[in-house]
Amino acid sequence: MREIGGLKAIEEAIGRATEMARPLLFTPGWGGDIQRPTTIASMNILSQVAETTARYDCPLIYPTHDPVIMSVAQEVIRESYVRAGYPDRVREDNIMYVSSSQFGYAAAVDGLIARNRPASVFLLGTFEAESLILAETGNSIGAIQIAGTDSTIQLAFFIVACDYTLIGEELFAASGYLSGDQSILSSVRAQDIIKILIAVILVIATIWATIDPNSTWWKYQ
Amino acid sequence: MKPTSRHLCFLGLAVVVVVAMLVDYRPALTPSDDTRGMFDYIDSLPQGSLLLVSFDHEASSLPEVRPLALVFLRHAFARNHRLIGIALLAEGTGVGCGLMNQVAKEYGKEYGRDYVYLGFKPQYVAAILSMGESIRQTFPEDYTGRAWESLPMLEGIRNYGDLAGVISITDGSMVMHWVEYGNGRFGVTIAAFVAAAMVTTYDPYLGSGQMRAMVGGLRGAAEYELLIGRVGSGARSMLAQTSMHLYVLLLIVIGNVVYFRNRRSRGGT
Amino acid sequence: MRRRLPQIVCGLMGILLLILYFSGHPIARSLNLLVLVEYYQIIFAFTLLLGAVSFVKVNLKGIERREDRPYRVVALLALVLMPVLALIWGIKGDSPFMWVFDNIQVPMQSTVFALLAFFVASASFRGFRARSVAAGVLLVSALLALLSRSDLGGFIANHVSPLAEWLRDYPSMSARRAILIGIGLGSLTTSVRVILGIERTWLGGWK
Repeated sequence: MREIGGLKAIEEAIGRATEMARPLLFTPGWGGDIQRPTTIASMNILSQVAETTARYDCPLIYPTHDPVIMSVAQEVIRESYVRAGYPDRVREDNIMYVSSSQFGYAAAVDGLIARNRPASVFLLGTFEAESLILAETGNSIGAIQIAGTDSTIQLAFFIVACDYTLIGEELFAASGYLSGDQSILSSVRAQDIIKILIAVILVIATIWATIDPNSTWWKYQ
Repeated sequence: MKPTSRHLCFLGLAVVVVVAMLVDYRPALTPSDDTRGMFDYIDSLPQGSLLLVSFDHEASSLPEVRPLALVFLRHAFARNHRLIGIALLAEGTGVGCGLMNQVAKEYGKEYGRDYVYLGFKPQYVAAILSMGESIRQTFPEDYTGRAWESLPMLEGIRNYGDLAGVISITDGSMVMHWVEYGNGRFGVTIAAFVAAAMVTTYDPYLGSGQMRAMVGGLRGAAEYELLIGRVGSGARSMLAQTSMHLYVLLLIVIGNVVYFRNRRSRGGT
Repeated sequence: MRRRLPQIVCGLMGILLLILYFSGHPIARSLNLLVLVEYYQIIFAFTLLLGAVSFVKVNLKGIERREDRPYRVVALLALVLMPVLALIWGIKGDSPFMWVFDNIQVPMQSTVFALLAFFVASASFRGFRARSVAAGVLLVSALLALLSRSDLGGFIANHVSPLAEWLRDYPSMSARRAILIGIGLGSLTTSVRVILGIERTWLGGWK
């Protein structure tokens, strides 16, 4: 798999937080719940981040808007710390449900960023209008920011305000990239093959529609 | 605390918007194709058509979403369309009920005969899918707890097949779920009034025909007010919006001037 | 077993709901409706309870440790007050619940949302610099988009707006569609991996 800048920078971001003796903040955004693939993808990266913060003994703060995501995150972080060999370093109080309301969540996370001044901020998941508020607040305290979302409009905000942005399916490829698991990498490969097929069909449809404007097989009915 | 460039940006913006809001000036507008498309869609429906209007927004975006909701409700009631109101986000519930009652009063509409408000249903994907099978089983009572049978307007309504369309009034990505599940699975016509930031997100769906029509932001509301011949808060906010755009433009120009000047003084590297 | 059982339940329910979604058989449709209308809502109600318990726990601990005490007390009072108001006086029209919603919650939420405008201004000042050719193209596109949405009439309406519309309808739309296709495929494969048990991170780990 080609190098993905945002994922490669994870270790650097955690190292920075450890050197500066400041915490790290990871949040999955307001827009989705646990059943969304974006949230699952975010959990994959959380697992890797948690394992590294366990080794470096760097505090990890995880605020979320959904109680189920909070429970899953607690489990993911606990297991990651156990895997790293430091189960005693888990701080359950740092994994919290803040508010289900969009701007209640944004205000709470902003407050956490402003008070705790994390050295690194991970904004990975489904975000809506609160994305720029969080990203700009992180930027104002000088944090290194790694972001990724499935929303095309919020991606634009992240690209302007964050240091690294995972665009589109780079977020979904994270689990294969980080784990190196062959079955996951195969599914990423399958995605690429399907994309090539879609591109071929697009080209054929474009040429066909140009030659025969009355054709309808390619139209959404 | 020494003011930074960030603070000066914020202060400038606050001054510009406050001054613009105090001035009573409404710029001339030409309705866009998108706004006309929505107007034509609502106008083209036979009088008395049944529409489902879903208030899928949070309280935070009310300043932008309220003008949009008002223009739609006014147009729909003026055309004597019958409206079923629901909310798929909790905060839109009370707002939606209030707006429907307010506009219904303006047009002399009767609850239960001309419009009904069914209230909030959590788990929006499940709600959209279940209404495709049975709206009654999804909402067994209305928002005030009245039984389905006591509401004459709801007689004979089973699912999306009995509706002329679904109108989503939203500030987020709810329309995508309506398109994916409502239109994709059940073929119901979807139209939306959305916050300005979401317009480009839904452009692909509008372009492909999966969405019938879309009106975006305060500007869209102002244009729609022109078309229905009734000025509201959309038009009143246009000067503030235009001023803000020009201010941001100015900031971008200043930012680039500062950047190139610094680059030159560092020796062009 | 701790991991195996949730994996089995996840796989079975995923496959079942997939079949129900595409099936037009009356039994499948009524089963689908049952799951959507009843099961989903019951699960949601319990997740709310989970959230409330966690919220109370975290804030009580914070109060004990004397961290941001006044704010935590207000938060807990609000958590208790709103359901009490709703249960006693209801949530309709001019009830106290709606008064608190209209006069406290709505303005607070709108204020935080309004911050976005300020942050857009500062992000624009910082972000739209012509550092390279690509950045220059982005800059010009942003300027065109801003001008086209401003009501300046004349030259802007006649020349700039059509150009901005072209940018929105063609280059921007095609890039957006390409990203959407990628995201759609990514979502599909992630969901298939979760249903088939290949993706197990949500259970607490890779293995």
